[in-house]
Amino acid sequence: MTQVKAWAGYLLPKLGQFLFVVVATYTLVFVLVHFLPGDPLIAALAAKGGASTVIDPAELDALRVQYGLDGSLWQQYFGHLIAAAQGDLGVSISTGVPVTEMIARAFPFSVQIASLALLFGVTSAVLITFLAYAAPWPWLRQLLLQIPPFGIAVPAFLSGLLLISVFAFSLGWLPSAGARSWDAAILPAITLALPVGALFFQVFSSAVLEAQNSPFVFTAVAKGVPPRRIFTKHLLRNAMLPSITILGLLIGYLAGGTAVVETVFSRDGIGRMTVNAVLARDINVIQGVVLVVGAIYALVNLLVDVAYGFIDPRTRIGGGLPSRARLGAKK
Amino acid sequence: MNSPKNRVLRWGIAPIGALAALGLLASCAAGPAASPKTDITMAVTGDPVCLDPQQVTLTTALNIGRQVVDSLIDQDAETGELVPWLAESWETNDDLTEFTFQLRDDVTFSDETALTADTVVKNLDALFEMGSTASLASQYLAGYEGSTAVDENTVTVNFESSNAQFLQGASTITLGLVSDATTELSPEDRCQTVVGTGPFTIDSYVANDSVVIAKRVGYDWASELRGHSGEALVDTVTFPITPEAGVRTGGLQTGEFDIIQDLPAVDETRFDTADYTIYARGNPGMPTSLVPNTTRPVVSDEIVRKAMLLATDRAEITALTGSSQSEPASSALSSATPGYSSQADAMAYDLDAATDLLDDNGWVVGSDGIREKDGQRLTMSVTAFYGQDVLEATQIQLAKAGIDLQLNIVTAGDFFGAIATGDYDFLSASLTRTDPDVLRVTFSKDAVSKWAIIDDAELEALLTEQATTADTTERTALIADIQEMIIDRAYLIPLLEVAQVHASTANVSGLTFDSSSRLIMYDVSVSE
Repeated sequence: MTQVKAWAGYLLPKLGQFLFVVVATYTLVFVLVHFLPGDPLIAALAAKGGASTVIDPAELDALRVQYGLDGSLWQQYFGHLIAAAQGDLGVSISTGVPVTEMIARAFPFSVQIASLALLFGVTSAVLITFLAYAAPWPWLRQLLLQIPPFGIAVPAFLSGLLLISVFAFSLGWLPSAGARSWDAAILPAITLALPVGALFFQVFSSAVLEAQNSPFVFTAVAKGVPPRRIFTKHLLRNAMLPSITILGLLIGYLAGGTAVVETVFSRDGIGRMTVNAVLARDINVIQGVVLVVGAIYALVNLLVDVAYGFIDPRTRIGGGLPSRARLGAKK
Repeated sequence: MNSPKNRVLRWGIAPIGALAALGLLASCAAGPAASPKTDITMAVTGDPVCLDPQQVTLTTALNIGRQVVDSLIDQDAETGELVPWLAESWETNDDLTEFTFQLRDDVTFSDETALTADTVVKNLDALFEMGSTASLASQYLAGYEGSTAVDENTVTVNFESSNAQFLQGASTITLGLVSDATTELSPEDRCQTVVGTGPFTIDSYVANDSVVIAKRVGYDWASELRGHSGEALVDTVTFPITPEAGVRTGGLQTGEFDIIQDLPAVDETRFDTADYTIYARGNPGMPTSLVPNTTRPVVSDEIVRKAMLLATDRAEITALTGSSQSEPASSALSSATPGYSSQADAMAYDLDAATDLLDDNGWVVGSDGIREKDGQRLTMSVTAFYGQDVLEATQIQLAKAGIDLQLNIVTAGDFFGAIATGDYDFLSASLTRTDPDVLRVTFSKDAVSKWAIIDDAELEALLTEQATTADTTERTALIADIQEMIIDRAYLIPLLEVAQVHASTANVSGLTFDSSSRLIMYDVSVSE
């Protein structure tokens, strides 16, 4: 019973936090989009009509009603918010397709490369960290530790094109673009994995190497435990909390950070859809995407917090003591 | 993989090996290409967004839609002559308010319904009702009164006032015909499915990914302008949507793509070899130009506009920003437009003449190199939503004559917003049309598009007259007069002829442009 109570006391504020983040995101985007100069409806029409666009005031008014852009700002704000809560994100101004339908279509493609990127990034970060840990010579260790930062230094635009020219054009192993076959996800995923893996590496490797100097590792070494076992049993477990924190952040980054990669690799996805929507000032799509991405980000963080509760019971006992603060205190 | 003694090494090699294995699998899956090739690939630059050719103006969408939808008549891209297509013959009354088409009786849509006079009526009625949702079509149908099916295969189209551009419009994809069922859909639904009578049908459309079209079995009503008759020569055409130019050109080099849309100007020399074919054709209509609002100070001064016309070096602008395949702009119409007449002499680059003109009229060069007259600086702005490089080149050229051109690059929405409120000195953009009536669309006070702001009764009268003249020779003479007047009074500063430049591997043949410079793939075949 106390267990349930403790969990409720721990989770309810987090849930409230989740809702707050979603509504705040929506509000911020609504304000930004509506206070930009220019008329989004004319912009979206111009994106479709090109140089032949004709602006007829009477028709503009009719279209405003059709796309839910009529009425005062308050009416629009609450109208869209209530509709969104019921799962209706409105209709895209430039394509006429419901926004939920567009997101549902593009989402799996982004999830595909994002999850692969996470897998590649985390695996290689763990691998390099282990190699650095097990490296017999200090110079090799230093060298290995210097590699991952390159992943952040090279822009995804450049690394993407490099990968295309090597693996698609020169070697002909993988498709250069599109999402028409499963293997088309590999190059974009590697491109995304570079910064993701590098960021994860920074946190993970410092946690591991820090723990390496702690007394329990010293004891383990003294007891003659083999290095691989020390790594998997002691160091990995110790690096888990900070790693999960950075994973939460990375998933948020991936949810929004696919735009460049999806454009370079001509893939359908949330990022590319957002770029197109911004270019066409298609505010219904922009709001819809940001709302969904914001919700995912908040959800992932909610899950991270729940995971803390499981991994480190101390975070629960405090009755909802903010986990990040706890983590900071530990450092 | 055997187990090497060094574990560290093995751990390090594993992912690379896995990647290599995946790559090999992928290359096996792709398999060898069949010979002769019947499934071809054309990389396009962007998502078509909407497949209904009657609504869209995006080049990509038109290039795809042209394969699926036929038009009443066809226009020779070289001579401008109109020839039969779905209509066997047509006639017009003298004041161009009534058009009668006699349709072929053997044409069916891909949903197996027949093409009848009634279908044409439904198409035009539905199009007119869509209004500015179908912005280009609404301009071709300006003054539409209605149409009637006289009998099964005869249809009459009526306008309230003369409409000289309708006939040419009827040859464009914008007035291409869709099936009865398609006309009954909402504009949004029409974007997803198009049923036409064309040599191809839409096989699949995955937004932001690709469009696939497949050969229409039993097609037998190509216009006489095509190279063969009967069905199309390839089975399917896949259009992967590939915005990144480097991926398109790389894919063309490796054979992943047979044809690519929009070959960048910088890559033209690279593909100008025997292994590739470059296709280029100027867009008909108005070249990229400075379009004036003559109610603005400075811009209202004809001397200033003339000096600007003379101080602009169009050959240099083309060399710097255009395709190596295109000629400098030389009139208010581009050279691919029917009725074009060259004004190259009247608008030849002459910096000395420009500066003399300004000197003689009291425009004195100030300390910062910009001219002044009665405390008025010779400065104006140009509002545009694309072509910044063209305008930058122009800005530098005009500065040599002491003219200060400020660039105001905005979004497409703000561009049309500025047009709606008339808040601009100059606009800059091009306007693609297959008919010289584009001059009326740009310059007439009564045109719905409202681009140039000019109060000139003489020009207005000529613009109206050409739109009501059915006799081709007479109309061509009027169009020539208008072009001369526009350049003479500097109502337009043409800058650059926009060209469509595509490329294919050398084994592709039969790719042609229609009169609007959209691609026709009906005759395309690929030899191995």
